[in-house]
Amino acid sequence: MQLVYTAEQQAFRAEVRAWMEAHVPKEPLVTLECREGYDQHVEWERTLASGNWGMVTWPEAYGGRGLDLIQWLIFEEEYFRAGGPNRANQNGIFLLGPTIMEFGTEEQKARFLTPMAKGEVIWAQAWSEPGAGSDMAAIQSKAVRNGDHYVITGQKTWSSRAAFADWGFGIFRTDPDSTRHKGLTFILFDLNSPGITRRPIRQLHGDTGFAELFFDEVRVPVENCLAGEGQGWNVAMATAGFERGLMLRSPGRFQATAKRLVELYRQHADHAAPSAREAVVQAWGAAQAYAYNTYAVAAKIMAGGKIGAEASLNKIFWSELDRSMHRTAMQLLGAAAELKRFDDGRINQWLEGYIFSLSGPVYAGSNEVQRNITAERLLGLPRVGAG
Amino acid sequence: MDFRFSDDQLTLATSVRDYLSGTHGPEVLRHLDEAGPRDPAIWQGLVDMGLTGLLVPEAHGGLGMGLIEAALIAAECGRACLAEPLVDTAFVGVPWLLSQGQTDGLADVVAGTRKLAPAHAINPWVADGDGDALVSVDPLRKLTVRVERSRDTAAQGVSTSLDANGAGDDYLLNLGALMSAAQLVGLADAMLHQAVEYAKLRTQFGQPIGAFQGIKHQLASCSVAIEFAKPVVWRAAAALQDGLASAAAHVSHAKLAASDAAMLTAETAIQVHGAMGYTYEVDLHFWMKRSWALCGAWGDRAFHLKRIDDAVLGGSLPIGPEHTFA
Ligand SMILES: Cc1cc2nc3c(=O)[nH]c(=O)nc-3n(C[C@H](O)[C@H](O)[C@H](O)COP(=O)(O)OP(=O)(O)OC[C@H]3O[C@@H](n4cnc5c(N)ncnc54)[C@H](O)[C@@H]3O)c2cc1C
Repeated sequence: MQLVYTAEQQAFRAEVRAWMEAHVPKEPLVTLECREGYDQHVEWERTLASGNWGMVTWPEAYGGRGLDLIQWLIFEEEYFRAGGPNRANQNGIFLLGPTIMEFGTEEQKARFLTPMAKGEVIWAQAWSEPGAGSDMAAIQSKAVRNGDHYVITGQKTWSSRAAFADWGFGIFRTDPDSTRHKGLTFILFDLNSPGITRRPIRQLHGDTGFAELFFDEVRVPVENCLAGEGQGWNVAMATAGFERGLMLRSPGRFQATAKRLVELYRQHADHAAPSAREAVVQAWGAAQAYAYNTYAVAAKIMAGGKIGAEASLNKIFWSELDRSMHRTAMQLLGAAAELKRFDDGRINQWLEGYIFSLSGPVYAGSNEVQRNITAERLLGLPRVGAG
Repeated sequence: MDFRFSDDQLTLATSVRDYLSGTHGPEVLRHLDEAGPRDPAIWQGLVDMGLTGLLVPEAHGGLGMGLIEAALIAAECGRACLAEPLVDTAFVGVPWLLSQGQTDGLADVVAGTRKLAPAHAINPWVADGDGDALVSVDPLRKLTVRVERSRDTAAQGVSTSLDANGAGDDYLLNLGALMSAAQLVGLADAMLHQAVEYAKLRTQFGQPIGAFQGIKHQLASCSVAIEFAKPVVWRAAAALQDGLASAAAHVSHAKLAASDAAMLTAETAIQVHGAMGYTYEVDLHFWMKRSWALCGAWGDRAFHLKRIDDAVLGGSLPIGPEHTFA
């Protein structure tokens, strides 16, 4: 256990900090969940790429810097320190990217990773269906093999950023006689393919965060299939592991929120409830705990280990932490919590953040499902009657 | 930067775990609780493994290890609900004596013939394994009121010392709190394990109760609390070992996180056991009571919350994403 940074790591931090201070937009961007904001965020992805910061852990050949996970964490810390915008391409770089790295052919890596790191192609995840949410094995959308193409028919939903994104990655039933986890295949597709209709869905906050996708005999070349026909479930579980276990929510995000919460508390200290004060102190502690745990996971992976079912603990922890920090902020704001903009014109980011935090325990596998996984796979409780 | 235990550290912890699960099972706790005579072989086994000298420098006949190893082993002592004063003697008393430059008598500590019962102003009493002035809920925890300790009580030929000396020393307080936190995560792990095993065995409505989500989700929540308290404890051990200025805040964070995880797990474990959990017959109560005692010892929840509050809201501790290891 060595909890100090090397000189090289410190120098790297200084380099990231200098670049971020020079480039992170001074004013917060418009929300990613609408056209204008989406375009601003894509623009930012390209700015990041111009500094070669798209995805630092990837090999240089794929638009990365070939850095290790500790350097990635340092990068993320500095990113959130500087108030870096949400990543328009998070589903690409944090979920699909590592999956392609693990399961993709050399040809697929060369074709998909570099444009992803450079922010040239923005990706949407298309797993959920109206009848397959938590129970993803109930997927019905079909991909029928026809020569060197699959023909996709069906419907996906809740696909974040799919209203505006360029490409999607989904799981489709390629074996018509299969049920549940078998016969599923992981396929990458151009969202502008003929036969795809996107229907934007208005979210709680009023903007278009996600979309429904309708597939009407959409032709996709077979080389867009990842890891072979019928392997979809295994590949998806690996993706979900990256999502829950490490990449999707790096600790810097929550440490930055905790720090802002401390500042908010100071402004409202004179009328804050003692319980809010404790919640603020606990927020710092929980964000730190999450960071330590992430450093431990990173060290484990760097030593050749894998992320297992403990990714579920992670997902429960960060999503409930995020919600409780924003709830505390809403309490501190009191009457002003309801305002979309404060009287000085600033956007009420705590309100936006609180609304978004309510989705954390739902997306990336609901927390009930994560608790099932924890109980069954980590604690060894029986599955019968699990529902 | 490497947030991992070394293979040697893990091997050491495993050997302690194996030793304790082999020689210090619940039957030992029951036996002692019924005022049965202490089996000196258990203590001797710990001595033979070198644990009493774990933190004693090699020049004084010890193993010369650090607080990270000590915390890891303290967690094992918690897991076993150890009824021997290893943690207080070797992981709290010894490093404090060393910090005071007091090396006389360390050879006796290493040899297991001198046990230490550290006293500190934060604790109104001393758990010296000997006293009977006050009765703890933990039947295996013997208490002496601190003021009475000035007249030295020699227990069974073993001198217990350190009292009075440690008065208000911060380092001693941090050692005591850190090692309590480490024991608490071990205790919590053990309580969770007992509840899980019971949930697999007990059937109602034709299935093991552990198949009900109402049970699963409660136990999963304990797992979350415990697994996110552990890294806080290890980080605090490293901070204290490295003498960071922020060590006090990190130790308090560890004590708070570990106490909260242990309290939650204790309550959940009882609930999962149903009425069985409310009996004296089920061993769970030993772990639960030790947890209650340690939650209040070496600074209670309010004390440690205040110390973190002073650092975080008071501004002395740098916070934010770039200060993970400040
Ligand atoms: C903001 C947001 C963004 C999203 N982005 C994407 C995306 O980009 N791509 C994508 O494919 N999907 C996305 N999703 C969908 C998300 O993955 C699903 O919402 C999630 O898997 C849950 O499915 P569901 O909504 O159908 O809820 P349901 O499965 O219907 O669940 C409803 C409730 O029942 C509970 N429940 C279900 N099964 C069990 C069980 N076995 N035990 C106990 N409780 C259970 C759930 O926990 C939940 O509380 C997004 C969702 C949100 C909110």
